[in-house]
Amino acid sequence: MLRTEQIEINIGPQHPSTHGVFRMVVTLDGEVVTKVEPRVGYLHRGLEKLAESRTYTQFIPYTDRLDYLASIQNNTGYVLTVEKLLGVEVPERAEYLRIIFCELQRIASHLIATGCNSLDVGGWTPFEFCLRDREKILDLFEMTVGGRMTINMTRIGGMPEPPEEFWPALRTFVNEFPRSIDEYNGLITGNEIFQARCKGVGVVSQELAKAISVTGPNLRATGIKWDLRKDAPYGIYDRFDFDVPVGETGDSFDRYYVRIREMEESLKIIKQAMKDIPEGPNFAKVPKVVKLPAGEVYHRVENPRGELSFYLVSDGGMKPYRLRIRGGTFVNIQVLSHIVPGWKFADLIAILASLDIVLPECDR
Amino acid sequence: MENDILQKQMEELALKLNGEYEQSLDIPVLKIKGARISEALLAAKNFNQTPCEILHDVTAVDYPDRNEIEVVYHLSSFTGPYMIRIKATIDRDNPVIDSATKIWAGADFPERECFDLVGVQFSGHPNLKRILLWDDFEGHPLRKDYVVPSIEERKILRAVKPGE
Repeated sequence: MLRTEQIEINIGPQHPSTHGVFRMVVTLDGEVVTKVEPRVGYLHRGLEKLAESRTYTQFIPYTDRLDYLASIQNNTGYVLTVEKLLGVEVPERAEYLRIIFCELQRIASHLIATGCNSLDVGGWTPFEFCLRDREKILDLFEMTVGGRMTINMTRIGGMPEPPEEFWPALRTFVNEFPRSIDEYNGLITGNEIFQARCKGVGVVSQELAKAISVTGPNLRATGIKWDLRKDAPYGIYDRFDFDVPVGETGDSFDRYYVRIREMEESLKIIKQAMKDIPEGPNFAKVPKVVKLPAGEVYHRVENPRGELSFYLVSDGGMKPYRLRIRGGTFVNIQVLSHIVPGWKFADLIAILASLDIVLPECDR
Repeated sequence: MENDILQKQMEELALKLNGEYEQSLDIPVLKIKGARISEALLAAKNFNQTPCEILHDVTAVDYPDRNEIEVVYHLSSFTGPYMIRIKATIDRDNPVIDSATKIWAGADFPERECFDLVGVQFSGHPNLKRILLWDDFEGHPLRKDYVVPSIEERKILRAVKPGE
């Protein structure tokens, strides 16, 4: 009788397949994973502590550094929280601009998720295709505010006005992008190797998703139809006509495919917003020094990586008394230790890629 | 409609648990003593018609002038747009509260973070260790009396332990 022994190995924090600075302690029995323990915190910068010594306006650029692939949405989430307590009415045009840029950002973020997912199961080419298309979106951002990744765009009470040449460029992108989605479907979705690696792997059940409070595309992949943009709309999302794509089984493939379909829905929203956007001012009148009344406010927004929410406690001063940031990744990452045991080591990498994590949002 | 039902149930729960009920912007808030938190969370999870079955967030706020820490729970649902907030007050010198990990497995990381940054002890938590900061860090940075050490006195490199 052969004696077998479990071994414990360490992956990360610096490892290309952990998508940033993430560490896992994995127990293996041969090639089968028996236990995974996620270790986070390597990117902790103390943003919640820093917020207590910054004014409300000064903190906006810090929110860029939460989920760096969705910086406009982080800005918008934070700004909406402040505006909710301040009671500012944002002009129509700014609301529409926010929708357009948030949805562009969602597509850019899902492109990275799609590309990395394919990359981690061995397909290099689709990753390049995804980056090629994301580049066009980043160019649109650069045209408007000069930045590409952490661009600090949303302001309290408004949104910067894009230049003249932005609109034709956006139109070109919107017209060309459906063809790119067809390309991904041909390259990744229909790929036999990709399907073999992802179908039925790493299933998140609805019960588990509820127990962990998983949010975002990872939740919708399990079949639960819950999208804040539709079910608890903020901003002007209730004016747009779009679907909420859901998966069937909650496996890696569903998590991937929900994102592809979400990009199509985002495109729909952008098209409607481009058509309906009114002329007019893009800034509300906001005092130069923002002072919030004493009180508490909680606001959540739908980010590409789940619900991002801010809990702001104000004591009436110029700085927050306490700012709590709840990121999607920090909560979603907990499913890893529930779904991975029983799968082979190589599947662990594929499952992690399909969860689409971004560590700065997790560690704050 | 949903909000009315939710408010009524929150008021009843406040009465039952000897707590206070208030409305803060769009969220109903229940304020209770820390010892009754498990009852409150379980009751909210099983509300009629408006169950708050999702633990959206756990956090804590330090109030040194009242000598209290408030552990703040936000519960939501995947069936409706409503949300509730439950605030449990605990003593600042003896910050112990029941863990919610038995009710929601997902309470694990947020509770560890509360322990790490604010120093709340969750009794019954299976693995209450620091999560964001390193293990031999001293103090809890989100306490209001925490002094951020100057860059000169900050220990950037961790001391090597014997046997490493």
